[in-house]
Amino acid sequence: MEYTSLTDKEKALLDSLKDAIAAIDTEIAKVVAHKILDAKIDPRIALKYSFAEAAEIVGAKFDCGELFLPHLVMAGDLMEEVGTILEKDIPPNEIQKKKTIVIATVQGDMHSVGKNIVSTMLRSSGFIIHDMGVDVPSSAIIQKAKEVKAEMIALSSLLTTTMHYQKEVIDDLVSMKLRDQFKVMIGGGPVTRQYAESIGADGYGKDVIEALEEAKRLLL
Amino acid sequence: MTRLSFWEILKRSKMGPMLEEKDFDLLMFKKTQDLQKEYGIKYDPEKPVDIDGVQADRIYQAGVELFLDLGTYCTTTKRIIQVSAEELKSEIEACPAEINLGQGSDRVKMSHRDVEGNQDVIVIAGIQTAPFSDGEMMFKIYKGCAMGRSVDGIWGGILLKIEGQHDVIAGAPSEIYQYKKTVEILRRAVAAAGRPGMITINNAPTNPATIAMFDENLGLRRSDYMEVTGMSEMKVAYDDLNRTAFALAHGVTIHGTHSSVIGGFSATPEGAAIVSVAGSLQLIVVQKAETFRCGAVESRIKSRATRRNLWVASTAIQGISRNTRLIVDGSMGDHPGAGPGTKQYLYESAAGHVLSTVMGAHSTEGTRKFVVGNVCNFGTPLESDWMGEVCKGAVGMDREAASYLVKYLLAKYEAHLMNPPEGETFEKLFDQETLKPLPYYQNLYGEVKEELRSQGLNFIR
Repeated sequence: MEYTSLTDKEKALLDSLKDAIAAIDTEIAKVVAHKILDAKIDPRIALKYSFAEAAEIVGAKFDCGELFLPHLVMAGDLMEEVGTILEKDIPPNEIQKKKTIVIATVQGDMHSVGKNIVSTMLRSSGFIIHDMGVDVPSSAIIQKAKEVKAEMIALSSLLTTTMHYQKEVIDDLVSMKLRDQFKVMIGGGPVTRQYAESIGADGYGKDVIEALEEAKRLLL
Repeated sequence: MTRLSFWEILKRSKMGPMLEEKDFDLLMFKKTQDLQKEYGIKYDPEKPVDIDGVQADRIYQAGVELFLDLGTYCTTTKRIIQVSAEELKSEIEACPAEINLGQGSDRVKMSHRDVEGNQDVIVIAGIQTAPFSDGEMMFKIYKGCAMGRSVDGIWGGILLKIEGQHDVIAGAPSEIYQYKKTVEILRRAVAAAGRPGMITINNAPTNPATIAMFDENLGLRRSDYMEVTGMSEMKVAYDDLNRTAFALAHGVTIHGTHSSVIGGFSATPEGAAIVSVAGSLQLIVVQKAETFRCGAVESRIKSRATRRNLWVASTAIQGISRNTRLIVDGSMGDHPGAGPGTKQYLYESAAGHVLSTVMGAHSTEGTRKFVVGNVCNFGTPLESDWMGEVCKGAVGMDREAASYLVKYLLAKYEAHLMNPPEGETFEKLFDQETLKPLPYYQNLYGEVKEELRSQGLNFIR
């Protein structure tokens, strides 16, 4: 079943779900999710269409200052909850696995604000996020990425004296012959695209919006 | 009145209610938004300055209520540190209303300042925590900053290479070594400027390196201060509290900083102002600060001098200044988006420092473009002079005049905040032989100074 083959009534239901998620109205979103299942609409279409469109709207509203960080958290929670309802009617082997990202501020660096915003935005856009916090040693980041079978490692550094650890993670991945298993995206105040390229990172985000676009480019 | 013991705070950090960090963040958001409505707090972009203090008083009361209701989240123990209203009242009253910093003839008194007050404003300038290319350059720039007549102290930075080739890395042995060695240069530079007892401040990425800089002869002294940081927003970790533990044992003044985040969990400008007050209370109660920087950052714009941030920080500062005898640091012009050598740097810096001073704060967080990156020598002594001249010139100014000036300045730079001019390094702005500003920069400085004088800023010189 494709979106284009749906009736207008069915499309309206998907729009209602999209609108409820974008409005971060969990109760309505849950009711609509059940209606979608009752209407025998393929839930995979709802996940693909309603979730993606809603995430775009939420991201745009955050970008223009209409929504704030807590709204991104709540949107992420809502999508997890409603996603679980919809996925019940999808055979386990047909559930599209979400991409997993391990994110951390590198060792020696206590700055959390930028990393938190990126982490929250990525989650509200449908990625599975393992946020390890601040001052995280390179070895712990790699260990976590292996453990959760992540597709990407995202590293924040706000200090010139901690940027080195972004390179260390990449160098260690190479030494451990794991470099091909993970995309690495970096960011933070002193970090530039040139620096990202010079240390062999796959991606760079100068701000939250660019980080999201970069994650989508690399993983989706 | 007595202050709550630090050891009692630690005890509560191990016995308070447990909560997941995400739940604390969302609880703070909800409570902040409720308080915003309950107290009728409203940000009006047309009025970036609260002239009558009505909003400021409401923000102060809401900040007190938030701090008492919510407490401080300890990320180490995942518990909430809470205090009672009586304990908070006692803590505020027991905090000093004046302290002394520096030594000998360079000693200064830093006291509570009133809104529109005539009390001296203490200015600690210098290019805060920035990288320098080599020891000689660092010495020259520090010395130049220390010679500024309107400057009471200076911040240090870091040399990124040891012996010109080995990287300095936070958390590695190179960090302790290099911060300790570079603070010696800072101390020699202020002595060479004829101000051996001047306040010097520096802050390394990790605690061991920060603590290692304290040395009465060659480093930071007990007459300087130690900076402790509260995590945004309304959180603390044992890592932060280690600095407090050292400062209490060592006998050095504790200066706290905390930033609410506009667009973060405090969400709106109104919420960020409330959290700025609550975060300041956290600094004195939990982290035992005697002076503290009250302020905010934008989640998206890399400047502290945005219209919203000017309102958030200045109204929160005003609320604290009007309702307590605490010693507040504003430093609102410390991180412009524009770089040195540009008019916009001077405009942004002036907007922040004028408001900070008029609202009853000192400015002790140095000068620096918001994002320096790994560009070395990205600043000059002239920005320190500017910070000092603006702050001291704004003493005694009233809020009406400050509001007029800030609106004038915002009109000059606000449209360029997303893409501010990059600015130039010391080498491009100063004569390397005479260590004087190049004519272009000196003229630009003089031009902006005369412009602001004509708009009501009463420069002393």
